[in-house]
Amino acid sequence: MGDGILPGLVKGLGTTARSLTRRTHTAEYPDVAPALPPRSRGVIALTEENCTSCMLCARECPDWCIYIDSHKEELPPTTPGGRARQRNVLDRFAIDFSLCMYCGICIEACPFDALHWSPEFEYAETDIRDLLHEKDRLGAWMATVPPPPALDPGSVDPAEVTAAAKPPRGAAGAGPRAGSAPRAGAGAPGRTRGDGPAARPTRVRPESPAGSDRAAGSLQGASAAAPERPAADRAVDATKPMPALGDTGSPAAEGDSTQVLPEVTPDEEGRE
Amino acid sequence: MTTRDIVFVAVGVVTALSALLSVTTKHVVHAALWLLVSLGSLAGAYLVLGQELVGLVQLLVYVGAIVVLVLFALMLTRAPIGPHAEIDTPWWQRAAGAVLGAATTALLASLLLPLLSGATVDLDAPAATTPRIAQAVFGTWVWPFELLSVLLLVALVGAFAVSRLVLHREDPAADGAVRRAEGVRR
Amino acid sequence: MNLVLAPWLEVVLRALAVLVAFLVLPLLVGQTEHKVMAHMQGRLGPMYAGGFHGWAQLVADGVKFVQKEDITPARADRQVFRLAPFVALIPYLVALAVIPLSPKVVGATVDASVVLVLAVIGVGIIGTLMAGWASANKYSLLGAMRAAAQLVSYELPMVLAVASVALAAGTLSLVGIGNAWNPWWLLWQLPGAVVFLVSALAELQRPPFDMPLADSEIVFGAFTEYTGLRFAFFLLAEYAGIVVMSLLFAVLFLGGWHGPFEPWVGWVWTLLKGFLVAVVVIWLRVSWPRMREDQLQRLAWVWLVPMALFQLAITAVGVVVFPR
Ligand code: SF4
Ligand code: SF4
Repeated sequence: MGDGILPGLVKGLGTTARSLTRRTHTAEYPDVAPALPPRSRGVIALTEENCTSCMLCARECPDWCIYIDSHKEELPPTTPGGRARQRNVLDRFAIDFSLCMYCGICIEACPFDALHWSPEFEYAETDIRDLLHEKDRLGAWMATVPPPPALDPGSVDPAEVTAAAKPPRGAAGAGPRAGSAPRAGAGAPGRTRGDGPAARPTRVRPESPAGSDRAAGSLQGASAAAPERPAADRAVDATKPMPALGDTGSPAAEGDSTQVLPEVTPDEEGRE
Repeated sequence: MTTRDIVFVAVGVVTALSALLSVTTKHVVHAALWLLVSLGSLAGAYLVLGQELVGLVQLLVYVGAIVVLVLFALMLTRAPIGPHAEIDTPWWQRAAGAVLGAATTALLASLLLPLLSGATVDLDAPAATTPRIAQAVFGTWVWPFELLSVLLLVALVGAFAVSRLVLHREDPAADGAVRRAEGVRR
Repeated sequence: MNLVLAPWLEVVLRALAVLVAFLVLPLLVGQTEHKVMAHMQGRLGPMYAGGFHGWAQLVADGVKFVQKEDITPARADRQVFRLAPFVALIPYLVALAVIPLSPKVVGATVDASVVLVLAVIGVGIIGTLMAGWASANKYSLLGAMRAAAQLVSYELPMVLAVASVALAAGTLSLVGIGNAWNPWWLLWQLPGAVVFLVSALAELQRPPFDMPLADSEIVFGAFTEYTGLRFAFFLLAEYAGIVVMSLLFAVLFLGGWHGPFEPWVGWVWTLLKGFLVAVVVIWLRVSWPRMREDQLQRLAWVWLVPMALFQLAITAVGVVVFPR
């Protein structure tokens, strides 16, 4: 019992007494839903329409736990005398979550934004084989993918906005109805600039200094353009911005069956 | 025969039987445990005789402390579970023990001699026996009492000396090493 | 309150009441420990069993223990091994029976009750020793040896501290001591109270004196080999021990049933004070690290025994200078 012991003992008592009066840290998980941080890696969701069966994800996956089957289809030429096109049709897309280590490489690797992180994590199974999620199940997770966080103030426009602002091919000079109308209206909950990272995306961008007139001007066009969009696209679109939709929605791009995205700018690529 | 008689006889039989078992069992730890039972029921006998304090002190000192020490000491040895021939007592020790026990019994039994002339003690007399015991211990019997405490003190000092003593060694080097170790420890 | 009952009925009722207290109070202390400890560590503790804040957790634990297999190791000393939990448990039942909650509310009136309590608590340790030796397990043996060494060292200061209170009150009966108490004792008997609390913790083998159990070094000491109900009995003995020691402390040093309001609520005061002491015991467990064996012995012989003797001296002076 040296000199330094008594103060230490008293301090110990004080520490425990203090934490007795404080709130506890216990997460009452099944009763209270956890507050997950944005970008939580819960489960991987698939937007089937975006997937080109390019196999990049399957090849990059360190566990080789992505299974893809596809076949090629001929599409008849859209114009008389035109060339028939080929496209890949996805037959099977499955991720085996009993092998997946949630590294996220597949999502990084996908050039077409077909894979997304969803924070949902309650998909434990009593049979390990049930952890193999087929594409319909992976697609169902899309509904739980949160909108991406807002852009930092002062950053450049998102790629899809820039792409949508470009005059569509073959419709040069068709000023007022240039692609921005379906973009703003069809509710891609695009990236709001200037809000905090946690801000919910709004359908209309509130204070975009560069695009405010554009947004305001295109509101009327929005309601007109929205019904034209395919129903399936809209359902997905409500939860997640899909850059491709900006173009597919616009009448000019309708003939383009491959649904190729506009090019993705570097800052966009690092986002997911 | 009153209830008290019956209880006394019962407790006495338990005491005697467990004492017997404690000296006859070949399990060394069982012997200590039987001793425990014996001493405990002896406390019960005191209680039946109306000497509450003596009984409780018996329990506190003998059962709670002495037997615990005995058990502790046994655990420090390699007391095996079950009988063991090697540590069994040789016959001459048993004989000596029996003689000693018999002598002690005779000595204590001599206390009962007045009974032959029909002496009795009223057990129901005064309730407050504690002051009387205190007066007896610290008055009439104070010298034996103090003598006992001196004896215990001597035993204590002896134990201390034994534990601290460095036995003389033939080998001077080893002796030096032990001394140095002692010095380090202090 | 002057109900007159047939003597046998009264005995049965009293025994029943003591038994109920013996089964309920330790569970109460155990649940308090669960909760207080949890919150002191920033946790919630049990929340499910029984619905409301896990109040039935210990009942559930009991059910679990009953279901478990009762294993006796093959090389153990069977009878001793099986007897040990009861030897550990019963003394606390006896002790609880003679601790008064108020002069009227007491299981059994015994003249020298304070000696009885000390004596039976000393007997309780035999259960641990038996368990440790009979298990035929080196961890058990080590635990039992530590327990014995600890008990022998701390029994002395404890008895001295109690002796000081008995001296101050001039009686060996707990009721008498409680009645003789007055608030000045808080100051007068303070060293004794500290000594008693520390040695009570040591006798209960509670942290910071849980060297004999020390789950990080010797598994669970003497109880390593126990399972099921027998193990539960040892745990019950530990918590019953906390109850006994806390109530004893409340009666001896905190004045038991002395308190405001009508005299007949005295037992509530005793229970409240005892509960407070139990919370302190839990608090110490949460806050302090375990002591090493040599530190433990040093504390007992270098600090507590002299302190207790000093307390005895000032009590004696007090008794002579201010005779009642
Ligand atoms: S997260 Fe990693 S391991 Fe899981 S499917 Fe994607 S690439 Fe494979
Ligand atoms: S990388 Fe993307 S587009 Fe290519 S197969 Fe995988 S999910 Fe489909």
